[in-house]
Formats: sequence, structure tokens, C-alpha cells
Amino acid sequence: MALEDFAAEMDRCSQCSYCKWIPFDHIKSWRYAKNCPSVSYNNFNSYSARGRYAVARSLLKGQSGYSDKVRDIVYKCMTCGSCDVSCKVCRFNLEPLDMVRELKFKLVEEGHVLDEHQTIVESLDKEHNTMLQPKTGRGEWAEGLDVPRLFSKEAEIVFHAGCRFSYDRDLWNSVRSAVTILKNAGMDVGIMGEREMCCGGRIYSMGYRNEFVRFAESNIKAWAKAGVRMVVTSCADGYHAFKRLYPRLGFQVQVMHVVELLNHLINEGRLVLRSEIPMSVTYHDPCHLGRQGEPYVPWDGVEKKIKSQIIVYEPKRPRYNGAWGIYDQPREILKKIPGLQLLEMERAREYSWCCGAGGGVREAYPEFSMWTAAERIAEAKATGAEALVTACSWCERNFMDAIIAQRDAMKVYDIVELVQEAI
Amino acid sequence: MTMPKNIYKALEGIVGPENISDDPAVLDSYRYSLAHTAIHLGPFFDTFTPRGSAVLLPGSTEEVQAIVKLCNKYRIKFKASSTFWSAQGYPSEDNTIQLDMRRMDQILEIDEKNMFAVIEPGVIGATLQAEAMKVGLNTHIPGAGCSCSTLAGATSYFGSGPSNLYGGWHYDNLLGVEWVMPTGEILRTGSLGAGCGWFCGEGPGPSMKGVARGFIGSKGAMGVYTKCAIKLFAWPGPTTLPVEGIVPAYKTSLPDNFKAYTVAFPSWKSWADAVYTIWDTGVGYIAHRQYSMFGRDLKFAMIKILTDPTKTLGDLEEILDDPEVQKITEESKRDFQIVLAGMTKRDIEWQDKALDEILSRTGGWKVEAMNEPEINKWMLLYLIRLGHKNLNLVFGGSYDGCFGLLGSADFGTSHVEEAAEFKKRWEKRGAVVEAGGDCMMGPIGGQGGGGTCLWENFTCFDPYDRDSIEGTLEFFDACTELGLERGWGVGMEKWNSQARGPDGRIAPKEERDRIHLSAPQPDIFRYQHKIRKAFNPNDLGDAYYETLDDS
Repeated sequence: MALEDFAAEMDRCSQCSYCKWIPFDHIKSWRYAKNCPSVSYNNFNSYSARGRYAVARSLLKGQSGYSDKVRDIVYKCMTCGSCDVSCKVCRFNLEPLDMVRELKFKLVEEGHVLDEHQTIVESLDKEHNTMLQPKTGRGEWAEGLDVPRLFSKEAEIVFHAGCRFSYDRDLWNSVRSAVTILKNAGMDVGIMGEREMCCGGRIYSMGYRNEFVRFAESNIKAWAKAGVRMVVTSCADGYHAFKRLYPRLGFQVQVMHVVELLNHLINEGRLVLRSEIPMSVTYHDPCHLGRQGEPYVPWDGVEKKIKSQIIVYEPKRPRYNGAWGIYDQPREILKKIPGLQLLEMERAREYSWCCGAGGGVREAYPEFSMWTAAERIAEAKATGAEALVTACSWCERNFMDAIIAQRDAMKVYDIVELVQEAI
Repeated sequence: MTMPKNIYKALEGIVGPENISDDPAVLDSYRYSLAHTAIHLGPFFDTFTPRGSAVLLPGSTEEVQAIVKLCNKYRIKFKASSTFWSAQGYPSEDNTIQLDMRRMDQILEIDEKNMFAVIEPGVIGATLQAEAMKVGLNTHIPGAGCSCSTLAGATSYFGSGPSNLYGGWHYDNLLGVEWVMPTGEILRTGSLGAGCGWFCGEGPGPSMKGVARGFIGSKGAMGVYTKCAIKLFAWPGPTTLPVEGIVPAYKTSLPDNFKAYTVAFPSWKSWADAVYTIWDTGVGYIAHRQYSMFGRDLKFAMIKILTDPTKTLGDLEEILDDPEVQKITEESKRDFQIVLAGMTKRDIEWQDKALDEILSRTGGWKVEAMNEPEINKWMLLYLIRLGHKNLNLVFGGSYDGCFGLLGSADFGTSHVEEAAEFKKRWEKRGAVVEAGGDCMMGPIGGQGGGGTCLWENFTCFDPYDRDSIEGTLEFFDACTELGLERGWGVGMEKWNSQARGPDGRIAPKEERDRIHLSAPQPDIFRYQHKIRKAFNPNDLGDAYYETLDDS
């Protein structure tokens, strides 16, 4: 795809501004009605999906150039996809999230990049992670765990820790717990250790499509060499990359997020949650696990019209609108933990508010990123919950940082930590 | 032309550097595509409203006032908009400053006892409704849907919608207003001006509410409304709408004091008789001919798609082939939707019985397929929240209403078949969606009735397809011609053409004068000219406040 391929959508966007709000049916208050951090923080229309369609058209038609403002508009999008969900309440022939991604690709291809992103990409090239850390340290999180390292040993399942979990020591407990739980449940699981590479999802959302493809192909090749039959990850970004993006490159191995697998093990009785955790929690749906966590459906078709002017696709085009993301499994797990009370935030599931860490925003615009996280924390606190639980390392880190900055006392957990505690 | 630096600096000093921009890309995100018809104007292929000279995001009345005073000093045109529903919210002349009012988005007060809310421009129908419901109240949501500014609908435009029946049009609902007039003075209308609060829209002397709003509003051409109070009405339901279902097939289960029906009739005469009787008996909370916007032939098939998250438009043809769908489509040809809300158990029982009696007397029936729980709960939520309004645009991205039969129930129903047949013939030419001709959508009016049945015959087309656009425009011209010939008046497809021309800019004065002189009472526009001269001496608004200066 190229930005030019979205020219029709740029005209067909009805400029209705649904992209600025959660689906209206779900609005429960004035306070938590908005969905798009970008336009909520920056206010100008240009920072919404409808505005970005207009900006893209303006660029394509040569009516405006690549100013600093344009870079600001384009890169201050977390590609969280909430606009996409709201748009598709009424539209079947617009793909605002794909368009915004394409706009980022265009800016990168034309060389209008951000230094903060460029630093990450350069480090990624050399060290194979987005954390600006040496690749030799990638497997340290698993030290002391009795888990086979591929390729020297074989395993049916590869557990992909992801960049953030691999290098953020505060979060190690989660991935160490995940591997331990899976092993104890009898799963044949191994890790790549220092051979593990970034999934590429983070740089994809910054606009570096070609670099993403390189990493995706390397990972696909490595897993094929290791002979794994399933990839399991605790990282929501990784899950999205493996589940939705890799199949476009021919990847066919089964992918599961750890919450799917844990829920499956609990339902099968292979994992029993016995210990009481007397705590009230609220669950934050990570964008890449929830609305962007729908499975990939191959499609190669064309637009056609029926009834003279109704736009459809031949063959029928799969519809990604967040309906079929991973929402129930984490909630089912939390409900099965004795003593734990689950309270829902006003914005949940497909219309969840983003944590603020995505799309390269955390790296390039920390103030905006922290504001976005703080908004979510305020919403979490409004439920009366004592803790905020999520299933993504990037969300967890952003929330933790925002809580520290606010000198707040709210606790943040990865769901796996609670499962481990409840076993 | 770029704005002189000293003026930009002065404006920046008012709103702060983060709330002003003249970057071309930002400015281009404040241009409206006239391929979308801009609500009853075009459509015109690849045409946009003019690029403003700057966009400002004021955060308070004081800032708005300072901006307007500066505009007067330098004779700069300005245009304020809150939620940008149509071209009318955007500049129609070059070198105009666009005010985006979204930062002023507070619900300042909900006066539960006196049943009104005080709001700023950025408050939308959905958020006001959600907050009002917490205290047992509701707000009227105009036909543009709950995404739109309540203040804009109440002060500056039509403000008509499905809940007209019980909640009233916004020209009735508007109470006190804080108005930054075109000169920069602040006028507080009604009781507010007397320091007595927001509760009344009128004060001593001639109606300032009438000057500011009248029937249809000044559409952002006469200053900026920065706050207003709006009447609320009773909500006998839960404090939060309980929503279930998978996107986009959201639905709600409400207590038994709510009922939603689709009713249909054997003839248009009986349809109109039922409406008159509904007005007379005072039953009903919301009443609208809603899903006919998809077209007489497509409406039930579309409902099947919209209530099943696994379906898309790609399933439409297959669904249309289903004989059961065809049967229901035929059965609901002359229909409308009605929501009953009982304030007590006895009330809902009585309303339900009264509706049955009305149907019995007029030969009407309830469309049973619409009572199927999944569809019924979806319809109920749809009509209460009006959060799927942009299904108007579902087919190809654009729509506009033609004809616009505004009048008594008899008026619309007397002409609907002729208008539908006319459209059907044009549909066959291929420029617009083949929907069955009758796509007449609109409210059935307010309790007490009379003159408030507004229907527009939806015409859907593809804004990216030149043939579709040009064919639609040709059709709209033909509609206007037919409307004039048949004595229905100029249709809504042309309502704004006196203000804005095909290039997205203001129509030339000669053209505007020609149209206003051909109106039944040109004097109205002469009077408006005098009002405008008095209130807007520096002529800083656009032609949406319509005037005739032929002295």
C-alpha cells in the first residue's frame, strides 16, 4: 500500500468527528467520553483521524509541505486505533488506522523523521532491541530459570519476552512467572534468550515499515529453524505483530498471548488459582491485545459497487473493528482469582483509552505520553479500585511512570503476577 | 494570503501560542469538502471551503470577546464552529479566522429542579444526555446526532430531531444565552440579562432570542454564542444507559416502562391520521421515520446488517434475496419508529393501549420483525442516544436530502409517492444509490402537532466519483425544478445555495439578491439587512445571515 491508495478514503471521510469520541452509545459521563488522546491533548482538528485524512490529502496534493507542524501532527498519534473503532460504528469502507500508519510510512520514506525515533532504529539495527541496550543482555531476565534456550535445545513453544520485559528489571517478575507457570503446567516451552530479537511492532507504529519487515523475516526464519509450533508472548505489541502483521509475510505458526494460554489452562484444570487476593482491581485493555488483537484474515480483492453507488469489496473484505479482540480472557482470569474484585472503567474493551506509550509517542513526546497515562489512572481511580491491572509491558511501564510522577499510590500489576500470586 | 504578523501576534497574545496556528496543514484540516454537499448545497467535485487565515482555540468568553474586538479593529472576518457538522461552520470567504470552540466544553450546571442545563459550545448531545440522565433528565438531540454541539443546534441552526415529539425543538428549548456580538460586546439574553439566572429565554422588550436565533439560527454569521441554557425534560429510565452487544450492534435493555415500535400503515392517509392522533393524545417520547434513510427497498436488509456484527455491506445483496426480508420490507413501506416512555406503570400501560387503539383506528400495525429482541433493543438505543447518525453516510460516504417536505403530516404524505417515484427514475441512471425512491427521513413533529413534519429524501452517492457527484447535482437541479413546478417550494437540496457558491466561497451578491427577491416575502431579508447593519456594522459575518440590500 501507499498513501496514494487512500486517496478515495480521504474524500470519503465524512468529517463527522466520530473519531474523537468513544462510540456514543457507551458514553456514561462527560469526563470519560473522549477516545483519542491526540486530539484531546492537542485540540486542533488535524490531530484527529478526520484531520489526518485532510492533512494527508493536503500533502498529496502539494497544498502543504512537510513542516515541523506536520511531523508533530503525524507522530503525535499513538496508533492506538480508537478512532478506527468509533469510525466503524457507522462506516464499512474507511480504514483510518491504516491510513494514519501509511502517513507515518510516507514521512519516514521521505526522510521526515524524529531524532528520538531515529536513535531507536539505529540502536535496533545494532542491538536488536528498542531499549537502547546491548543485545548480550537480552536473556538476563531468565537467569536461574530452568528453561531451555533455543536453538541449543528444542521446545514446542517459544516464549517471546519482548524488548520491554527483557530489559526493564521492574517487570521481570511477570515474564519469569509466565515461564514458570507454563512449565509447571506441563507446557514444552523454551526461550530464545540473547538470540531473541525485537518483534518490530514498535518501529512499525513509528513508521519504519521496511525495518519492521527485516525483523519480522528474521524472527520467522529463527522460529522455523528452531522448529517451534507456537509463539507465546506476554507483550501485547509483540502479540499484535505476530498475530496481525507477520501473517502478511507468510508466517503461519500459532500465536497466543499469555492471557489466552493461561485462561485455557485454568479452564482445563491444569492451573488452579487457590490463594486469595483480597483486592479490588480494574483492568486496562492494551490497544494491541484488544481492538488491534483481532486475528489476521487474508484478503486480496478489489472495490466494487452494488446498487450503483454502494461501495463493497470483491471478495468480501474482512472487517477489523475491534469486535473480536482479546477482552474476555483476562477478565475471566481475574474473576477466577479468589477474593479479587474486578471493577470496570467507563472506557473498556474496544473503546478503551490508550496508555500513552504507543506509536513512538512515549519516546518522542514524554509529556504528552504521561498526560495520556494520567488520564487513564484518573479513570481507574474513579472506579474505586486499589490496583490497575494490564497485560502489556509498555502500558505497565507508562502507568508506573505516571503514578510516580503524580506521587500517587495506585498499584499497577501485570495480570501474570496476580496469577502467580493466586496459585 | 497569510495573516500580517502583528495581527497573528496579537491573537497569539489572547489565546496563547499553543492555541493558534496558521500552518497550511492545520488550516487544511479546517476545510469542508463540498463533495459531501455541505448539507444542502452541492455537491461539487473536488471543491473545499476556503482555507482560513488562522485557526484559534479560545478557552473563555473573555478570549472570544478579545478576538472579536481585534477582528473589528482590523476588519477581519471570523467564523466560529463547535463540532463542524457541515460547511456552514467553516469560512466562506478568504482570509477568515476560524474559531474552533472545542476547548470551551464544560457543562457548567444542571439545574435539576428547574430542568435545564447551562453549557458551553463544545458540549455534545451525548455527553449532556449522559450527565442529565444521572439526575433523571434528558436532552433533545437534534437530527444531526449526538456528536453535535447542543449549543450550536440551539442557538445557530435548526435543532429539530426525533425527540421533538416530547422534548421540543431547540428553538423552544433555548433559554438564556451569553452572546459575544459581532462588535465584541457581550449581551446576555432573557432572564440572564436581568441578573435573574438562566431560566428564561426572553427578557424585557422585543425578543433578543428572536434576533439571535429566530427559527433557523444565524449559522455562525452573527457573533459567537459562548454559553447557553437549554431546557431538559424527564427521563424515566436508569441513570446510565446499560449497553450490551458487540460493536457496532450495540443495544440496550431498559425497564418495562420503555417500548420501541416500528409501526406501518396501509396508506399515507392513514399514516398521517395516526400522526395527528398521536399528537392529540400526547403519547410517545420519540417519533421518527428513521430507517427509511437507507431507502424503502434497503431498510430492513440494512437493519439485519447493523444488528449482526459479523455482517458487512458485502452481505447486502444476499440478504435482499431472502424472501422473508422482502416480505418485511414490503410490510414496512409506510412506517415510522416510535418510543413510548411511561412515567409510571399506569402511564406506559395507557400509552401502549392508546397506541394500539390509534393503530386499530387507522388500520396500522406493528412491524413484528422489529420487535425481535435483538433488533428492538438496538432500535431503542439508536433512537434514544442517536449515536449512529452517520449511517447517513454508510453507503458511499456522502448523502444529502432533497425536497425537504416541511409542513403538516398531510403535506409530506400527499407528495411522498410522487417525490419517491421521481427519485426512483433518477436512481436508475446510476449516479445515486438505488434505494427504492422513498428515502424520506425525519421527525413526525412535536406534541400539539402542526407544521413540524420535516422530511428529507436521502440521496446517497460517492464523493470520490465525479460521475456520481455530477449526476447527483443534476438530480438535485431536477428536484428543485419539480418542487417549484409542483408548488412544494425550493427543496432543501438548495437551501444554502444563496449563501455559498460552487467554488465553496460566498455566492455573489447579485445571485443572493436574485434568490431573496424571488422569495415570498423579500422584505424579511430587507429587515434582516437592517438588523445586521445595527448588530454587525463592520460586516464580519458571512452570508448565512441572509440579507437583501436593494435600497
